[in-house]
Amino acid sequence: MFKRSLSILFLAVVLGTGGSALAHTPLCSCWDNGDGTITCEGGFSDGSSAAGVAMRIKDPSGKILAEGQINKLGEFTADKPKGDYQVEFDAGEGHRIVIDGKDILK
Amino acid sequence: MTSKDRQAALAGQPNCGKSTVFNALTGASQHVANYPGVTVDKLVGSFRHNGTKVELVDLPGTYSLTSYSPEERVTRDFLLHEKPGLVINVADASNLQRNLYLTFQLLEMDVPLILNLNMIDVAKARGHEIDAEKLSRRLGVPVLPTNMKSGQGKKELLEAVSGTIARAEGRTSRIDYGDIESFIRELVDVLSAEPALADRYPLRWLAIKLLEEDREAQRLLVDGHPEADRVLADASAKRKAFEAAYGKTPEQHVAGRRYQAAADVAASAVGRSDLGKRPFSDRIDGIVCNRYLGPLILVGVVYLLYYLSIVQGYNLTNYTWPLLARLRTLVEALAPAPGFIEIPLIRAFALWFVDSINALLNYIPIFFILFGLIAILEDSGYMPRMAFIMDRLLSRYGLHGQSTLPMVLGGVYVGGCAVPAVMSCKGIPDERSRLATILIIPLLNCLAKVPLYVLLINIYFAQHKGLAMFFISTISLLFALPISKILTLTVLKDKETTPFIMEMPPYHLPTVRGVLVKAWRRVWLFLKKITTIVAAVAVVIFVLLQFPGLSAERLADYNGRKDQAVAAFMAAIQGTRFAGRIQEDHLMDLVGYWDEYKDAKMTAGNQAALDELKQRFEARDPDFYRIVQPGGDQEAQKANRAFKKLDRSRREILMAMRQERLNQSFLGRLGQAIEPVTRFAGFNWRVNVALLSALAAKESSVATLGALYQQEGSGQSLEQRMAEGEKGFSSLAALALMLFMVLYPPCVATTIAVKLQSGSARWMLFSMFYPMILGLAVATLVYSGGLALGLDGRQAMYAFYGLALAVTVAMGLIKNRAQTA
Amino acid sequence: MTLDQLKPGSQARIVHLAARDKLGQRLMDMGIYPGLRLEIVRNAPLEDPLEILLDGYYVSLRHEEARFVEVERL
Repeated sequence: MFKRSLSILFLAVVLGTGGSALAHTPLCSCWDNGDGTITCEGGFSDGSSAAGVAMRIKDPSGKILAEGQINKLGEFTADKPKGDYQVEFDAGEGHRIVIDGKDILK
Repeated sequence: MTSKDRQAALAGQPNCGKSTVFNALTGASQHVANYPGVTVDKLVGSFRHNGTKVELVDLPGTYSLTSYSPEERVTRDFLLHEKPGLVINVADASNLQRNLYLTFQLLEMDVPLILNLNMIDVAKARGHEIDAEKLSRRLGVPVLPTNMKSGQGKKELLEAVSGTIARAEGRTSRIDYGDIESFIRELVDVLSAEPALADRYPLRWLAIKLLEEDREAQRLLVDGHPEADRVLADASAKRKAFEAAYGKTPEQHVAGRRYQAAADVAASAVGRSDLGKRPFSDRIDGIVCNRYLGPLILVGVVYLLYYLSIVQGYNLTNYTWPLLARLRTLVEALAPAPGFIEIPLIRAFALWFVDSINALLNYIPIFFILFGLIAILEDSGYMPRMAFIMDRLLSRYGLHGQSTLPMVLGGVYVGGCAVPAVMSCKGIPDERSRLATILIIPLLNCLAKVPLYVLLINIYFAQHKGLAMFFISTISLLFALPISKILTLTVLKDKETTPFIMEMPPYHLPTVRGVLVKAWRRVWLFLKKITTIVAAVAVVIFVLLQFPGLSAERLADYNGRKDQAVAAFMAAIQGTRFAGRIQEDHLMDLVGYWDEYKDAKMTAGNQAALDELKQRFEARDPDFYRIVQPGGDQEAQKANRAFKKLDRSRREILMAMRQERLNQSFLGRLGQAIEPVTRFAGFNWRVNVALLSALAAKESSVATLGALYQQEGSGQSLEQRMAEGEKGFSSLAALALMLFMVLYPPCVATTIAVKLQSGSARWMLFSMFYPMILGLAVATLVYSGGLALGLDGRQAMYAFYGLALAVTVAMGLIKNRAQTA
Repeated sequence: MTLDQLKPGSQARIVHLAARDKLGQRLMDMGIYPGLRLEIVRNAPLEDPLEILLDGYYVSLRHEEARFVEVERL
C-alpha cells in the first residue's frame, strides 16, 4: 500500500517536474506615482515572477537614461525622465515589452 | 436495411483530393476518433441525401493494400470487419493507371464500390479525355467524374451513392491473373471447405494473399480456421511451386498483372494527347529543389513559418491574454478572501488551477496560426520537397527527411515550441525515425526557456553575451543529432523501418476551408487531450507543493513578523486624521482596496478610463482614496508611505512563507534528498527544489533560480568577484545549469503529446527520464570537469562546444543498419 | 546496371527488381515494375535522394533503394 502510493507520488513528481521556465507571455504595466517617479510591475502570464528581468528607460534616440532590474516583489521604480521616453522590459527573445512614456498615466 | 448499410468509406491513394471530397460531403459534422491500438486517426463524418443519413469514414490514403504499414492494415481491417455498405474509391483522374492498381485490390475485397474520378480538371489540363461510361462498363462499377474543389459533380456523386447503397449489390469485375490462376483456384477450393471462413472473408482475395505470404492474412486464417497449419503448409508449397516454375514470386506476378490490367483499362477509356510540355510543378521544382536555391528557399520558408506563428502569434496573445486574465480576476473574486498572511487553501488551489490552465490556453492563438501554416505546407505539396532536400543529412542520424518540419517547430537556433512539434510528427512514415524525432524534440530550443538563459547570461557572461547566446541556441542541435543516432542504434534498433520511396505530388493551391479544418482539428485535439490531463496533473502538483505545510511554530514566527509590521504602520498613522478610520482588525479592508485599485489601474486603457476609475474609487471610500492617491496632502502622503511599507512587508512575508512551505513540502524534501548526487553538477538543494517545483508558477524557476544565482554572483562588482576567485566558480555553475535546462523536459504538455504520438506510456516516461539523466550527466561533466581542469565558464563553454561538435560529426559518420533486400 | 547509377536526364526501362519483402512491395506499389519506363529527373541538393518520372507522376527514392532496381538505358 505504501509502496503503491509512493510510486504514484513519484510518477506525479516525474510528470510534473518537466516544466521549467514556463514563462510565455510577458506582462508589464507602468504608472506614474505623481512624486517624480514611475513604477512598473512585471510578470509572466503563467504567474512566474519576473524578478531579475532587465529594465531600461530610453530616450527617443535610444540613449539609455536609466537601467535596473525587476525586484523580488516584481516591481521596478525609477525617476521619471523629463521629456519623451520609453520603458523596456527585456526578458530575452520573444519576451520583450516596450511601453511609451506617453501611455504611462498617473 | 441495417445501420451498417448506411455506412460508407472513402478509400484512395494519397494526393487524389480525398480529403476535399470528405470535407465537401461531411462539412462540419466530422470528428476524429481512434482506431484501437494504432496511432492512425480515424476521421468520421456524416451527410444526408434524399432523406437517408450516411456515416462516412475517411480511410487513410494508401497506395496499395498490403500489410506492411499501419495505414494499410487499418484500411483492410475496416473493409473486412466493418463491411461498409459502400466504398467510394477516390482516384486522381490525371493518374488513372496508377490509381487503378488500388481499385483492383479494393474490388478483390468484394466491397460495393463507386469509382470517383476526382481532379478531372487536372486530367483535362494534361490532355486526358476520359470516357467514364466505357470505364464503368469495363470495371463493372459506377464511375463518377468530379472536380470536388469546385464542387463540380458533387450532386451526381451523391445520387450514385444513394443509389448504390439502396441496391446493396457487389458485382465486381475480376482480373485474370494468368499463370497463377490455377494455384488460386485450388487454394480457394481448400478454403471453401471451411464454411465459417467463407462467410467472413472473400475467399479469392484470401487465397491470393496467402500465396503472397501476407502476414495479416495468415493471422486471419489462424484465427478463423481449425486446421490453419495444414492450409498454410499447402499455400507455402504452392508458392514454392509457382516460383520454381515461373521464376518470380506470386506478389511480383500479381502486381505485374495488375499493372497490365490497369494499363489495358486506362488505354481503352482514356484518350491522351501529348501536350509536350513539362508539368508546371516540375518547373517549379527546378527552382525549389535546385542545388543552391533549394536550401535557401527552405531556410526562407522555415523562417517565415517561425516568424508568422511564434513572433506574430505571441503578439496575438497580447490581445487574448486580457481575456484569460479576466477569468483569473473572476476566480479571485469568487474565492474566499485572503487574510493578511493567511491564504485559505481553497483560494490557493483555485488560483493555482486557473493559472495552470491559463498558461496552456494562452498558447492557442500561436498554435492555431502554426497548425494553419503547417496545413498550408502539407496541402500545397511542399512537404515532400522539404524531405527531399534534407533527407540525406537527417537520415545519417536516424531521422527522416520529413523530420525537418517537426525539428524546426521544436526550435533550431531560434526558440520554438515542443508541443506542436511533437504533434506534427504524425506524418513521418517510418516508425523508427518517427520515434527518434519525437524523442529528441524535447531537447530542442524551447522558447519559454529563453528568459532563464538571458538572466544567467546577463549575470555571468555579460562580457560575451552574443557568444553565449549563440552557444545556447546552437548547442541543442548538437545534442539532438548525436542522441538521435544513439537512440537509433540502441533503444530503437528493432523498430520497423519503412522504405523512403515517396511521391512528389503536383503542387496545389490549398483551399481556405481545408486549411482551417485541419488547423481547427489539431487545436481541438490539443485542448481535448492535452489540456485536460495537464489540469489533472496540476491538482497533484498542488498537493505536492502545499503539503505538509508550515509547522505551528513557524506560523507563529511569521505572525510575529506580521504583528511588527502592523504595529509599525499603526504607529506611523497616529496623529494623522486616518488614525481613527483604520482599525487594526479591519486592516484587510484597506489592503483589499489598495490591491483592487492597483489592478484596475493596470488594465485602464486610456486617460478617460483612468479618470472614471479614480472617481469610482473615491466615491467608494474617500479616506482610503486619499491614502492611495495622496496628491499634495501632507498627512495623506505620510499615510501613503507608511502603507507602502506595510504592503511591502506583507508581500515579503508571503513570499518567505511560500518559499519555506515549498522547501518543506514533499517536493522540497525530494530536492534535499537528491542533493548528494546533484552537487557534482553544481546544484545545491535549493536549486533542486527550484527545478523540481518548475511548475510552481509564481516563484518558479526563472525568478528563483535567477535569485539563487544572483545571490552568489551579483551585488559585487566584477573586480571584487574576480578578486575573491568566485567568478570562475559561479560562471561555471551557471553554465552547468543552462546546459541542464537545455535538456530538461520542457513541460507537461510536451510529455502528454509524446504519449499521444507514440501511443505508449513507456515512451512517454522514457522521454522524460533520459533527458533528466543526460542533463544531470552533462551538467556534472561540465561542472566537476571544469573545476578539475580549472576552467572558467567561458573556457568551459568553448571546450564543451568543441566536444559536442566532434561527437556530432563522429556520429554522423557511423553507418546505419544497411538496407537489405 | 542499376537505377542509382543513372544520371539526371537519362531514360531507362526497368528490367528486374532485386528487392523482396517490404522494399520490393513498396517499389511495386509505387509503380516501379519490370517493363515500365522511367526518366531520371534530378538528384537532391545533397546528391541523395533522386527523383524519377514514371508515367505522368514523380517519385523520389534513396540511392540505397535504387540499387535494387535493375535497368537498361534507353
